[in-house]
Amino acid sequence: MSDALLTTLASGLVLGSLYALMASGLSVVWTTLGVFNFAHGALMMFGAYIAWTVSEAAGLGLLSGILAGTIVTGLVGVIIERLLIRSFYGNRNMLLITVMTTLAAMIIIEKGAQMIWGARLKQLPRLIEGEVSLFGTTVSAHEALIIGLAPTILLALWAFTTITSTGRSLRAVGQNQTSAALIGIHVPRAFSIAFAISAGLAGLTGALLGSIRFITPAMGSEPLVKAMIVVIFGGLGSLGATAGAAYVIGMLEAILILTVGLYWTPSLMFLVMIIVLVLRPNGLFGRRLI
Amino acid sequence: MTVQFLWIKLILLFTLLALVPLWVESSYIRHLFIIAFIYAVIASNWDLSLGYAGVFNFGHLTFFGIGVYTAAIATKALGVSPWLTIPLSGVTAACAALLMAAPVARLKGIYVVLVTFAVSQLVLQLVLSQSQITGGAEGMVRLPYLQIGDYKFIRDYKLGYYYMALSLLMSSTLFLVWLTKSPFGKSLRAVRDNEDYAQARGISISRQRVLALVMSAIFTGIIGGFYAIYLRVASPEVFSFGTMSLALSMVLIGGVGTIWGPVIAAIALTFATEAMAGIRGMEEARFILVAIAMIAVLRLAPGGVAGLLSRLVPEKN
Repeated sequence: MSDALLTTLASGLVLGSLYALMASGLSVVWTTLGVFNFAHGALMMFGAYIAWTVSEAAGLGLLSGILAGTIVTGLVGVIIERLLIRSFYGNRNMLLITVMTTLAAMIIIEKGAQMIWGARLKQLPRLIEGEVSLFGTTVSAHEALIIGLAPTILLALWAFTTITSTGRSLRAVGQNQTSAALIGIHVPRAFSIAFAISAGLAGLTGALLGSIRFITPAMGSEPLVKAMIVVIFGGLGSLGATAGAAYVIGMLEAILILTVGLYWTPSLMFLVMIIVLVLRPNGLFGRRLI
Repeated sequence: MTVQFLWIKLILLFTLLALVPLWVESSYIRHLFIIAFIYAVIASNWDLSLGYAGVFNFGHLTFFGIGVYTAAIATKALGVSPWLTIPLSGVTAACAALLMAAPVARLKGIYVVLVTFAVSQLVLQLVLSQSQITGGAEGMVRLPYLQIGDYKFIRDYKLGYYYMALSLLMSSTLFLVWLTKSPFGKSLRAVRDNEDYAQARGISISRQRVLALVMSAIFTGIIGGFYAIYLRVASPEVFSFGTMSLALSMVLIGGVGTIWGPVIAAIALTFATEAMAGIRGMEEARFILVAIAMIAVLRLAPGGVAGLLSRLVPEKN
């Protein structure tokens, strides 16, 4: 294989891993609560800033920064669920209302970050320095770490929702809230857990991304839009389909950048997505949901 | 609310607005009114698709943006008179709505939100990538301005633009009120409130959705064309999350499904956010306040300001 194609493959894998982390967070909240969280990208950005504050401004090291970014963002997710989602359960317009409240949350977090941290670009150091050889091409070790970390986390998430009883309770709540409550599952607690996991994943993604891209208050919107494409391709229903779609989209993006160039790529991706939805309204791998 | 009462309210509102230039001579305050009228058209037309028809349309600003860029490209690249480009913007926006409606008519729930949003991103990406036509991220500047004979609309403290914007808002509002009170408007509400029942009564749900989107795009596109000609710029910012959430907050705070509520909210919020922009440290915080107000309305007063006001007046519906 040619060099260009190998490089493309590697960068497609990096993109796919990032999208998988983002989209799986969206999917967890969607399958459990039936809420599409527009603040997900803003939470990712928030995680990156927390990681920067702890590791750079406070000088406590990158690992504790990433840890803090994940945990603090997870807590913010719980707060969002309490304040902006919980009072609308059972409302017949819940889907629409929560889109609006999470959109408002996105504005609050984004503008808040701009007020706290300013508009100046920030960047995190890399977790591991150096380069790694991958399929005969070199990528930075940090990117290689992301490629390895994403499937590990997804696998852990899958194991959590299939093996542990807490995880299974999330799925039960997603399938039928009333029955879940009847067999003794604390439904509000399941909602909080789902939101904490989802936001935590967003924070972690942001902290990892902060080493390869600049941290800005608007850094979350592009990944959010990409995660939306992923979610539309894969359907929102299952973690596996969402993760699979993430890698397909990452590869597609890398290939399009190589063939049609940076300018046409986003337009083409949206176009492909809209066509997919017209032909298959529940996503490429989706099952009938609504 | 009775129809007569609505008419009285609208006549009162527009008479008041038409008299404003008599005692407001500052061209800055008039500029704020013009911007407020533009937002009022955007918000009230969005209310038609989102509030009346119940289509989860989050790509409404796309129609506005298409209007803006139609006017910009037609005047700059094709040399069309700015007078012609304003109605032309309505035509292109309606065509775009028809195209967007094709996938939307078949979809349900969250997928409608995602696709309408994706369409707005697609248009934004096209604008950014075709920089030789659209100016890319920098946008287009120095568009031609409106004039009749030798009279430039910017003269006399923007008097011409003020009345032009007001008459566009009036036409749009009359159009929307007429539409929502017509059998078509009633069928939209039927589709929103009970899909199965509406279908059983022989209403085609997909067709009504498509029509609602197209109708809501007409004046949104026209006001987009006017916006570009008035400010003499077209910039991709019109597609941003910020513009969208500001317009959305106007629909919500004003009162979903009322048409006149968003008009009032648009005027109030434009002045409120502009006043706050003058206070130090509020440049970003004002958007946070608008977002909090949006959440508060959703939690405490789902009918918005219009709903609160209607409660004061006995209903005879």
